[in-house]
Amino acid sequence: MRFATIALLAAVLAGCSSSFPPPNDEYSAAQADVGRAESGGAPAVPDAKLHLQLAQEDLQKSKALIDNGDNKRAADLISVARVEAQLALSLAKQLQAEEQARKAQADVAKAKGGQ
Amino acid sequence: MRIGTVLSVVAAAGLVACGGEVPAPKALVDARADYAKAKGGITLQLDPTDVHEADLALQKAESAWQSSQDPNDEHAIDQAIIAQRKAQIAMAEAAALKAQQELQTAKNELEATMQSQLQATRGQLDKTQRNLAQTQDQLSLTAAQAAEQKKQLADLEAKLKDARDTIAKIAAVKDDDRGMVITLQGEVLFKTGKWDLKPGAMAKLDQIADALRGKEQPMVVYGFTDNVGAIDMNMDLSQKRAQSVRDYLASKGIPGDLITAEGKGPAAPIAENTSVEGRAQNRRVEIVVKPKKS
Repeated sequence: MRFATIALLAAVLAGCSSSFPPPNDEYSAAQADVGRAESGGAPAVPDAKLHLQLAQEDLQKSKALIDNGDNKRAADLISVARVEAQLALSLAKQLQAEEQARKAQADVAKAKGGQ
Repeated sequence: MRIGTVLSVVAAAGLVACGGEVPAPKALVDARADYAKAKGGITLQLDPTDVHEADLALQKAESAWQSSQDPNDEHAIDQAIIAQRKAQIAMAEAAALKAQQELQTAKNELEATMQSQLQATRGQLDKTQRNLAQTQDQLSLTAAQAAEQKKQLADLEAKLKDARDTIAKIAAVKDDDRGMVITLQGEVLFKTGKWDLKPGAMAKLDQIADALRGKEQPMVVYGFTDNVGAIDMNMDLSQKRAQSVRDYLASKGIPGDLITAEGKGPAAPIAENTSVEGRAQNRRVEIVVKPKKS
């Protein structure tokens, strides 16, 4: 009984400190998110570009943290990087869709004006 | 979920209130505000999934804040940033969807406008084609009529030329402003002072009647004398002689309503009355064939 308690305490302590696994899968997923934002037109939209840069910076920082063994903090930053990249892509999509809609509305006005 | 968030917020507020002095970090305040925006606008209608994601993220952020109660706790701040970004993603996605709907509406409208314009243009084209076909029909009809009239005219001219050629063999034929003028000498037609036709005259008039028959052209027979004798007598003689010729031609098939007679006496001489020859030329009958009334 005593032994079990000590063992459990040891396991919990180990989990809380340095045995947090390196978030490699999450890191790869974040890289993919950044790639999608880049190819989705984020660099051309100022708002989106800002969030894309934040994502890239967070990703760099998280890489350094993994190298230093701070996996837990790295995992947090990677999560932030992912939503930054996702937001960058959403903003780019929003702007593109709005531009297309405006263009189509202008076409309608033109076609009606030509009657 | 919503209740969960509300509870978390209430709990956090309660803790803050109880603690009395620890305000939530700015990142969490911003996240709450953006989540409220996403929840309040059209975003919830258009993109409920992302709003739900944002809700879950905000709950996590609230829990992290509750656990730490430290405004500088990096984990809690990151969770708040994630929650805010997710709310922003929901709003951007909803805005994109709204724009796509507007795009579709505009496309439909453009299509409808184009269709109606196309139909209008087709209608105009049909009308123009019908008009063209009508005009072409009229043109070909007019062309056919023109050709027919031209042919009739050519036939008439040919007939007239034939008649003129025939008459020219037995009488002097000329054209003046009255029409075709056939001049017959008085000696050939009548004895001196008489107005009944000589037998030889009838033969000539038969030929003239043959040539003029069927022309349907109005004619006037004029009688002329020389200037010898009383004017009244000459007027009377010229009238009677013209009438004889007119009656004879009428008896030979020239329509009576187309031919008239008129005595001119010594008027309009064609030669001097000072010589025998001149006076002989002035004693004459002229048959004037007027141009056909059209």
